[in-house]
Amino acid sequence: MYNTRVRGILIQGNKTYSDVSRDIIRPMDDKTPLWWWITAFLATGALFWGMWGFYNTISTGIGEWGLNNNVAWGWAIINFVWWIGIGHAGTAFSIFLLILRQKWRTSINRAAEAMTIFAVMAAGLFPLIHMGRIWDGFFIFPYWNTRGPLWDNFNSPLFWDVVAISTYFMASFVFWYIGMIPDFATIRERTTSAIKKKVYGILSFGWIGNAKGWLRFETAALLLGGMAAPLVVSVHSIVSMDFSVSVIPGWHTTIFPPYFVVGAIFSGFGMVLTLMIVMRKIYKFKDYVTDGHLDAIARILTFISLIMGTAYTTELFMAWYSGNEYELFTFMKNRVTGDYKFAFWTMITCNAIIPQLFWFKSIRKNITIVFIISLFINLGMWFERYVIVVTSLSKDFLPATWATYEPTITEIAVFSGTIGLFVLGVLAFFRFVPTIAISEVKGVLKETTTLKSFNDE
Amino acid sequence: MEKQLKVGEGFKIIGFVLIAFGLFTVLTGLLTGDHVRTWANLLLNNYYFMSVTIGATFWLAMQAITQSGWSAAYVRIPQAMSNYLIVSFILWAFMFFGLHDLYHWTHHDAVMHDPILLHKEPYLNIPFFTIRYVLFFALWIFLTQRIKKLSLEEDKIGGLTNFNKIEFTSKVYIFVLAITFSLFSIDWLMSLDPHWYSTIYAVKKFVMAFYHGIVVITAIAIILNKLGYLTILTKTHMGDFARYIFALSIIWGYIWLSQYILIWYANIPEETVYYVPRIMEEYKTYFYLELIVNWAFPFLFLMWNRVAKNAWALLFVAVVLMAGQWIELYMSIMPDTADTHNITYIEVGTFLGYFALFAMVIAWSLARIPLVAKNHPYLIESIEHH
Repeated sequence: MYNTRVRGILIQGNKTYSDVSRDIIRPMDDKTPLWWWITAFLATGALFWGMWGFYNTISTGIGEWGLNNNVAWGWAIINFVWWIGIGHAGTAFSIFLLILRQKWRTSINRAAEAMTIFAVMAAGLFPLIHMGRIWDGFFIFPYWNTRGPLWDNFNSPLFWDVVAISTYFMASFVFWYIGMIPDFATIRERTTSAIKKKVYGILSFGWIGNAKGWLRFETAALLLGGMAAPLVVSVHSIVSMDFSVSVIPGWHTTIFPPYFVVGAIFSGFGMVLTLMIVMRKIYKFKDYVTDGHLDAIARILTFISLIMGTAYTTELFMAWYSGNEYELFTFMKNRVTGDYKFAFWTMITCNAIIPQLFWFKSIRKNITIVFIISLFINLGMWFERYVIVVTSLSKDFLPATWATYEPTITEIAVFSGTIGLFVLGVLAFFRFVPTIAISEVKGVLKETTTLKSFNDE
Repeated sequence: MEKQLKVGEGFKIIGFVLIAFGLFTVLTGLLTGDHVRTWANLLLNNYYFMSVTIGATFWLAMQAITQSGWSAAYVRIPQAMSNYLIVSFILWAFMFFGLHDLYHWTHHDAVMHDPILLHKEPYLNIPFFTIRYVLFFALWIFLTQRIKKLSLEEDKIGGLTNFNKIEFTSKVYIFVLAITFSLFSIDWLMSLDPHWYSTIYAVKKFVMAFYHGIVVITAIAIILNKLGYLTILTKTHMGDFARYIFALSIIWGYIWLSQYILIWYANIPEETVYYVPRIMEEYKTYFYLELIVNWAFPFLFLMWNRVAKNAWALLFVAVVLMAGQWIELYMSIMPDTADTHNITYIEVGTFLGYFALFAMVIAWSLARIPLVAKNHPYLIESIEHH
């Protein structure tokens, strides 16, 4: 039993069922607002610049990037891991919180899942162009081929990545889409436009909302959730193995798989927080995404930030404890101090120190500060990948081969292109899909409200 | 509403007999020249029951910070368990007599000729080692006792003040555990082989503690229920306990794999040295048994919903998993110390003695406090949980 006296009211503003449908669908029926066009324009600009970067890379080659023999992985892999990390938010939200029966999930999961889809798309572009010869990209699929005995290297974590990420993308998409079916049906019933009725009618697979349909819907959600939970963990574990199966100091450390998973969830939640604050502001969803929701995310972030801090400390401590001179050099001379100390300390400050401010209730209540801290988390997680990738590669076992790495304009263009792609995806989501799971909010509405009409029943 | 627990006479007698038996085996082991093995067993059992208690109190703290409702009826079990930390503190103190037998880095002459040990000397030295032990236990005991005190006070005064204080103390406790328990595991277990290191080691021990802590809480809840106490235990509650165990079995397996696969794949001699005796030689059976018992069995067995909600089946899982933790610790400790791979009266006797002591401390502690925190704000939610 949900005790509103202790737990507080989840959905504010004494909403009835029809209020919920009306409020959430309203932005889709309104005229496209000006801010949407401006943002879409900027994002398209970024995307075009990114396409220039793509063209440059593909037509000339990887030499257009700042990579060299030693630092063979640069921004591409950093951004790839960063986007995949953000892509964990949707699943972390929807699936873990679904399994844990957290009711506050309902106002946020839809947007978080949408983010996952677009973030994974953005991430997927990087390995693709990093191949250099993109026209041979299909080589990554293990199929009965005409290349004789030439197969994928099944021992390679890069191949595991292909499998893990494509599985993850499909599972997330199915999960997201199935969740939207009842909402599409709601739009179909409410809309006055004949085209919309047709389109959403097809999208909703002819959902009629009978009891049997709901039963199957809920079972499917729970089953998919249960199966996708280990999948989430496996994806980022495998991403971490891209690094940790090697023998490079700073990469090969057994804590990497869980540490990467936690980091991914951390950055994902950070991005969810950023996006939710924007969304509830522009769509006036403060009754649905309440201060309580943001408070809950902030508290989770504090906890995860603590784990991150522990992981960083463990790595540093173990580097010293091991007595291994290469480990010691990488951590103490090339991260904590040395050429990359700015990146290292940015990472520590943004991920392990700044989120600890959430211990204070006054800070959690101040949405502006919460928003700024969420941006710091996004930044900090980018720097974490930067630190891992660049520092370890730049100075390895042979001092003769030491090299530094600076991104070129092409790499920056490609990165901003993926940001443009992500933003455009999110904008399309804002425009054409109900941004909050209407049916799920209705599902928890009755027991989490004090509305008189519910209590009289 | 729930009656007070009474510790039966038979229970006490069996308990004392087992403790006496444990003492006898330990003394025999020490006097008959098997002292390394005896100390290794003492270390194993000290760590075993201490980590179970830490895991259980960590669960308690997790319930507070996540504001979980369903578990409100069971907070008293880990609260009572926290008393064992005091007993454990005393028991660990005896370990200092055996340091020389167990830890290579305590041999001054060996350290002097070993550059790596010399490098670690600022951390691995007896005075600092002792300070850490005292400090960590002091923090754990203080924080867990405070949570218990606040919860008992809540029974009298009600309201949300204590509830909020418990939540805050739990946050601090988790913060403290993250650092202290990690270092404690490195100190007492990983440093048995002072040349070897693995960054995930402390995480694995933490997960193990959490995992088996819940197993013990579940077992106690079911046993109390079968004895006629704690009548609020429903099938749904058992299902939730089972889900905890199920989920943690996956996490445990995941952490196990993370360590093994990375060491296996990179194949660096400094690291594989840990697994060589464990997988290639006489410990092979335990190596696979550890995995089967702690991961495969609960994973497959608890997948079946009807089993997961059955009291006797869960109790069976609990017994198997308690053996599983013993095997895991045996594998952590024995290859580096006594290097024995059979189970004799020393292993059995020491474990039984500790087990009886642990059970008696919990029973005695539970008998002194109300079994249900009657003013817990989520108690109704927990009782009506379905």
